[in-house]
Amino acid sequence: MIAFLRLLKWELFRLFARRRTYIGFGVFLAVELLFLFFWTREKSESNMEKFINRVAGGFDEYFSALTLAFLIVAFTMFLLGLVFVALVAGDILAKETEDGNLRLILARPVTRFRLLVVKFLSCQIYTTVLFVFVGVSAFAVGVFERGWGGGFLVWTPDLKQPSIFGWNEGVVRYFAAITAFSLIYLPVTGIAFMFGCFRIKPAAATILTVAICVADSVLAAIPLPAFDPYREFFITTRMKAWLLLLKEDIPWYQFAEQSIWLVGIGLTGFVIGWAAFERRDIKS
Amino acid sequence: MLKFQNVEKRFSGAASAALDAVSFDVEKGRICGLLGHNGAGKSTALGIILGMVHPDEGEALIEGVSVQRDREKALPRVGAIFEAPAFYDYLSGWHNLKTLAAYSGGVSDKLIEETVEWVGLGTRIRDRVSTYSHGMRQRLALAQSLLPRPDLLVLDEPTDGLDPEGIVEFREQLLELRDRLGLTVLLSSHLLSEVEQLCDEVVILRGGKKIYEGSVDGFDQDFALFRIASENEAETIELINRLGGRVEGSRYAFPKTVDDSELLASLIQEGAKVSRFSREVTSLEEFYLRAGDSKLNGKGAVK
Repeated sequence: MIAFLRLLKWELFRLFARRRTYIGFGVFLAVELLFLFFWTREKSESNMEKFINRVAGGFDEYFSALTLAFLIVAFTMFLLGLVFVALVAGDILAKETEDGNLRLILARPVTRFRLLVVKFLSCQIYTTVLFVFVGVSAFAVGVFERGWGGGFLVWTPDLKQPSIFGWNEGVVRYFAAITAFSLIYLPVTGIAFMFGCFRIKPAAATILTVAICVADSVLAAIPLPAFDPYREFFITTRMKAWLLLLKEDIPWYQFAEQSIWLVGIGLTGFVIGWAAFERRDIKS
Repeated sequence: MLKFQNVEKRFSGAASAALDAVSFDVEKGRICGLLGHNGAGKSTALGIILGMVHPDEGEALIEGVSVQRDREKALPRVGAIFEAPAFYDYLSGWHNLKTLAAYSGGVSDKLIEETVEWVGLGTRIRDRVSTYSHGMRQRLALAQSLLPRPDLLVLDEPTDGLDPEGIVEFREQLLELRDRLGLTVLLSSHLLSEVEQLCDEVVILRGGKKIYEGSVDGFDQDFALFRIASENEAETIELINRLGGRVEGSRYAFPKTVDDSELLASLIQEGAKVSRFSREVTSLEEFYLRAGDSKLNGKGAVK
């Protein structure tokens, strides 16, 4: 176990020592500031005021740092998160294979399975760190703009009715949902990692993953009744499970079911990737 | 120490086998050269020894443990250097070594420092690898290969791209390691002179088949070559044939046991007007090139 943790430590060290790892962090920060700019324009704020007064009855109370942070996260995370998680997970093995780094590692007494587990776990840790960073920075942006305290109004088109929380419970719910969101992203990690295990270019692994997720999202959003019976089977539909933690009464059973389904998809990606990688010949 | 047993490998889409029932052994403390032209199967053989390439048949055994069946038990005391080793350029040399050491079960900082000093990277080890010259990368490659305190070193074109001084230094380091630590070395190289100077034995591959395995001194074991010039050439050739020799290109081949001075005395005694007489030592290069000639196949040198 100590040997495994030592490997994980150095894998994470390498991952976070690369400049490109931080591209995602920088881009999210820039997008958050852009959102702040738009959300706080007079016209936007006036529209928000009307909306919040209608659903919660108190703009000053409910257009808080938490509400603003949630809006930033909810509307930036899906696409940008997808790109950066797929970039890291698709790259982590494929790039090392392409560059030849992997030969130095595979000449050592480590099984391919262990190597892949270490890399997969590193990707998931990266995802969680990225999401928590986005959550914290969006919260900081919110506090900077709206100050500390107030209520927390949660509304997205995917929630049938808005949820309203006090500040303390809102903070807990907000960060719990963000952390859950990062875990729910496991299918993206799994699919990108799987492609990275194949004999393809690192960029191809990322592009394929993004293409699959975007196609999934588009199909799931087609507003035709014919799609209704199948909508729940789309990955991106299930990935909205993080929002369940922001319902006033959390539907735990539904959340657990969705999460298990998503974890299953992610792990299936890992297993397929492992099976492919195990059979591969690594040559110069 | 190393047994390569009846290994076959055919890559999908390839017209011929990369390795065709190849076997060879490397005994403990020996330096064995693996020779062959591009595509002969050298890298595939090294890949199989290190568990990176899966053989279709056969296996590689290190100290009796199959790399294919249990790489975690077979590889702990194996170090490897690849042609143009790919380090993590964005990390320092030190962090590269720490990372790679973690995959060998962890190595103390003291051992890493000693190794770094020994390979001569002491002052630059904290710099990023992206700032290293080719020679420095090769020193780092040697350092990383020594971290597991190996019994077996597998070297794939280790001096490729090094300047002459670098090649000499590497050769001296390798011999020092063999003498001091009793390392066994399998060296794949295109530099025949390097193999000749370093290796106790060679394995020559051609088209995925082993065509020679044996001592570097044993190439001309079947016959000795002489360069003989005389003023009466026709008579001399006749004389040579009578004395058991034969024409071999521009030289004459005699049984290996022939005594040089006795042969010369016999030639002069029998009437040859000898103006030049010298025994030719078969170089590895000459042997290697001859080995490519199918005439050699099936003769004594081929095992």
